[in-house]
Amino acid sequence: MFRCLVFLAITVASVVAAIAASQDKCIVIYDGIATEISPMPESSSDLWITTIDLTRATRFVIKPQGVCRDELCFPLPKNRKAEFVLKKGATTWFNLSEFAKLINQPVVTDQKNGVWYFGARAAEQNGGLASFAAPNFTLPDLNGKLHSLSDFRGKKVLLVTWASW
Amino acid sequence: MAQDTGGARDAGPWITAAKPEFTALIDDQQIVTQKYHMVNVPTGVWIDERGRIVRPNEVAFIDDRFKSFTNMDSAPYVEAIRDWVAHGAKSIYALSEDALKATIKPVNKDRLKADAEFALGTYLYKQGKGPDAIPHFKEAQRLDPDNWNYKRQAWALSDADRDYGTNFRKEVQKLNGKPYYEPHKLPEKKKGNDQPY
Repeated sequence: MFRCLVFLAITVASVVAAIAASQDKCIVIYDGIATEISPMPESSSDLWITTIDLTRATRFVIKPQGVCRDELCFPLPKNRKAEFVLKKGATTWFNLSEFAKLINQPVVTDQKNGVWYFGARAAEQNGGLASFAAPNFTLPDLNGKLHSLSDFRGKKVLLVTWASW
Repeated sequence: MAQDTGGARDAGPWITAAKPEFTALIDDQQIVTQKYHMVNVPTGVWIDERGRIVRPNEVAFIDDRFKSFTNMDSAPYVEAIRDWVAHGAKSIYALSEDALKATIKPVNKDRLKADAEFALGTYLYKQGKGPDAIPHFKEAQRLDPDNWNYKRQAWALSDADRDYGTNFRKEVQKLNGKPYYEPHKLPEKKKGNDQPY
């Protein structure tokens, strides 16, 4: 009986520790790449992440002109800046979920597993097709060798999808 | 281009058996489905030498093995491909810019969210969390109800009757004679030598 109680106590402690650990971290999937980050504790339903994690997970950087990545820059509304950027002590936090709303980016979450998935923006997904440019992609063959659609420039391509199901 | 969440595990045996002389790729994240706004397989897209689409998404059966199910004869599509290969932009099957504009429609917010839900479900499935993926696959199906790729792939990853309360056969029966995949709209080729080339 005593052995069972000890085992139970250890199990409960392990579960609590696991839950605590899982609440400290979450997974942000951006451009299809998963990055583990530490969000701001007790940040309600929004996802506040450090500006370091912002760049690590999304490659976006906060600049005077807005939130930028390469040539792409989204200005933050001046009267709403506090909704996006918050300084606490030495750490600057950024509200990534609110930013997604601003740039019309779909966000879906799995609370149980602590995963935030940021999808493609409408402009991204519709832009190429509107100009009839075939969207590029890079995928492996059965041997793992990567091929891009752009490798076939200069040839006609018949792209056909199928599935085993 | 296999649209298979199971990747080489599921698509590999088919590719090996087919011994393709063309490039056969495996898309385990349904990236092509998302980028090209596809909803079914087999889907074909014709892309010219400059990387521009000349015929967007359409049904692309290249043999008749499913003819009894789809009621579609593959011969006209195969003949159209050969015509385009021979005549390029002059082919009667290469669409004009106006025809392309009328055919390629932007995706709406629901489709974009469905893509994100399906991708999140795929991530969880690949993490070994199949049961946790199911609510996300269901949400993708709700948001984009005509997307057979999202239905059939999700159903194939678990027991469809148990987890989704349906299966492919039952859903096709519900169509009540409506085509499972919209037939292609190929122009009729004239007989004789009165083609524009």
